[in-house]
Amino acid sequence: MGIELVDPVDWDSITEQIDIEFGEGTTKALLGDRVPVKIAKEKSIIFYAIPMDWMTRLTEVSEELDFQFIGKELGTLEKGRFRLGLQVLSELAKITHSFIIVSKKAAEAFTYGRSIIRESVLELNPSLVRGQRVLVLNKNRECLGMASLSVDAAKLLRLGGDRLVAKNLVDVGWFLRRLG
Amino acid sequence: MSNKELRERAKQLAREHGYLQYMIERYISLWGEEETLKFIEACEQPIRTSIRVNTLKISITTIPNRLRDKGVALERIPWLDEGFYADYGDSSPGALLEHMLGFYYIQGVPSMTAVHVLDPQPGETVLDLAAAPGGKTTHIAQIMKNTGMVVAVEQDRQRMTSLRSNIIRCGATNTLVLRGDARKLDHLPFKPDRILLDAPCSGEGLIPLDPSRKTSKTMADIRFCATREDEMLEAAVNALAEGGTMVYSTCSIAPEENEYIIDDILKRHPEMELVRIPTEFGSPGYSEPYGVQLNKSLTLARRFLPHLHGTEGFFICKMMKRRRTSDGD
Ligand SMILES: C[S@@+](CC[C@H](N)C(=O)[O-])C[C@H]1O[C@@H](n2cnc3c(N)ncnc32)[C@H](O)[C@@H]1O
Repeated sequence: MGIELVDPVDWDSITEQIDIEFGEGTTKALLGDRVPVKIAKEKSIIFYAIPMDWMTRLTEVSEELDFQFIGKELGTLEKGRFRLGLQVLSELAKITHSFIIVSKKAAEAFTYGRSIIRESVLELNPSLVRGQRVLVLNKNRECLGMASLSVDAAKLLRLGGDRLVAKNLVDVGWFLRRLG
Repeated sequence: MSNKELRERAKQLAREHGYLQYMIERYISLWGEEETLKFIEACEQPIRTSIRVNTLKISITTIPNRLRDKGVALERIPWLDEGFYADYGDSSPGALLEHMLGFYYIQGVPSMTAVHVLDPQPGETVLDLAAAPGGKTTHIAQIMKNTGMVVAVEQDRQRMTSLRSNIIRCGATNTLVLRGDARKLDHLPFKPDRILLDAPCSGEGLIPLDPSRKTSKTMADIRFCATREDEMLEAAVNALAEGGTMVYSTCSIAPEENEYIIDDILKRHPEMELVRIPTEFGSPGYSEPYGVQLNKSLTLARRFLPHLHGTEGFFICKMMKRRRTSDGD
C-alpha cells in the first residue's frame, strides 16, 4: 500500500467534520506543522500526519513499499464519516471543550467497553448536544476514549442516576482486548 | 569427558529434566556439567516482571507513586534509567489503566538493554528490523523523543496489528511501518544511521518463560533459524550507512544463532567491526564455543543467561561499519 497526499477539498471536508464537534481550529492544532497523507485500505482510508520532509524522502519509492503506518494516525474515513484515531485523543483532550469527566469507577468500566450513566458524570459542558461525540476523561483529565452523547447535556440534571448519558465508541482498552 | 560419556550423561540429564538430548549435549560442551545443572535449575525459576516507563507519556519520577497506589512495587534496573523490576502482587500488569494509557510497556530486561546498546540519537534515521510487536520500536521512538524517523519492518500480517496498536498506545509519532521481508532492503530510500536486528530465532533463551521449549525445537530448527538470521544480517549490513551502528540481538542462547552468525559476517564484511558496549551487564560473548575458534572480538558481545543474571537468555552484539577511506579501500 502506498501513501498519497490528501486532496485539499477532501481535507476541508474532514476539517469541517472534526471542528464541528471539537471546536473551530481543532484540526489545525492537531496537524501542527505536519502534512496530512492517506493510505487507502479495502473499505476505508486512514489519514496520518507526517513531518514535511518525509514526503520528499518517500514519495518516489512509495510504489515499491508496503506502508502500514506512518507518523501520527489522525483517523479513518469510512462511508463518508471521519473517526478520529486513538493516537490523537490525548492531544485533543488538551484543546477541546467537548469532553465528559467521569468517576473513578466509571472510568475503569469505560476502559472495558462500558457506556456512561448519569451518576458517573462529574463534569459535562452544558452546551453539548445529543448525538455529539465527546472525549471521556478521568479526574486526572487523562483521555480514556470517545463516546457519543445520548442526551443534551443541558438536560443532565433532570435524568435518573442509572440513565445512559454517553455511549462508548472507542476506549483505550479496546486494542488490548482485541489482541487478547 | 569423552564424547561417549558426554552423550550418556546428556541423555540421562535430558530424561531427568524433560529436555531433548541434543540441547543438554551442547550445554555440557559449552559450560561443563556443573554450570549446566545450574542453568537447568534456573530455568525452573520464574523471571521477574519488568516494565519500561514510556517517557513520551509520563515522567520516570511520576510512575513509581502512581503504581504504588495500586499495590505495585518497583525497583530500578541499575543500567536502565527507564527500566524497573515490577512486583504486581495480585493484579495483572496488562490490565491497569496506566498500561492502557501507554505509560509503560511490559518488557524483558534484555530487550530494553538491546535498545540502550543501540543508543539511538534524536533526529537520526533508525531501522528496526523484525519489529513486531514493537517493544523495541516504541523504545527507540521514546529515546529519540519522537524526532527523526524510526523505520520498522515486519513481515507477519497478524503481528502487524500488535505493532500498530503498541505504536498508537505509546504515542510514538516518528515511526514508519513497512510490511515486508527484512532480507530485501534494496528499495529503502535512505541509509540508516543505526539498525537494530532483533532477529526471529529459535527462542532457546525463553525456556524459563516457556517450558515447552525444552522439547519443541530440533537442531534442524536451529539451523533453519541460523540461515535466516545470516540472510537478514547480510541485508542489514548492506543497508547500513558508512560509519553507522548495528545491533544484532536474539532471545536465543545458541552460539549457532549468535556468535557463529557474527563470525561469518565479520569474515564476509571486513568493513564491519565489533565495538565495546560501555554499559556493565551480562557476561561476555563466546569466542571459542564448543572449542571452535571464532573471531576474538566476539567477547565484546554480551549474553544474558538465566543462571547468571536471573533473566531470560539473550544475546546482544554491537558493531560499526567503517567508513571507506578516500583511496577506496
Ligand atoms: C523476536 S521477534 C521481534 C520482537 C520485536 N523486535 C520487539 O522487540 O517487540 C521477531 C519478529 O520477526 C518477524 N519476522 C520473521 N521473519 C521475518 C522477515 N523475513 N522479515 C521481517 N520480519 C520477520 C516475526 O514475525 C517476528 O515478529
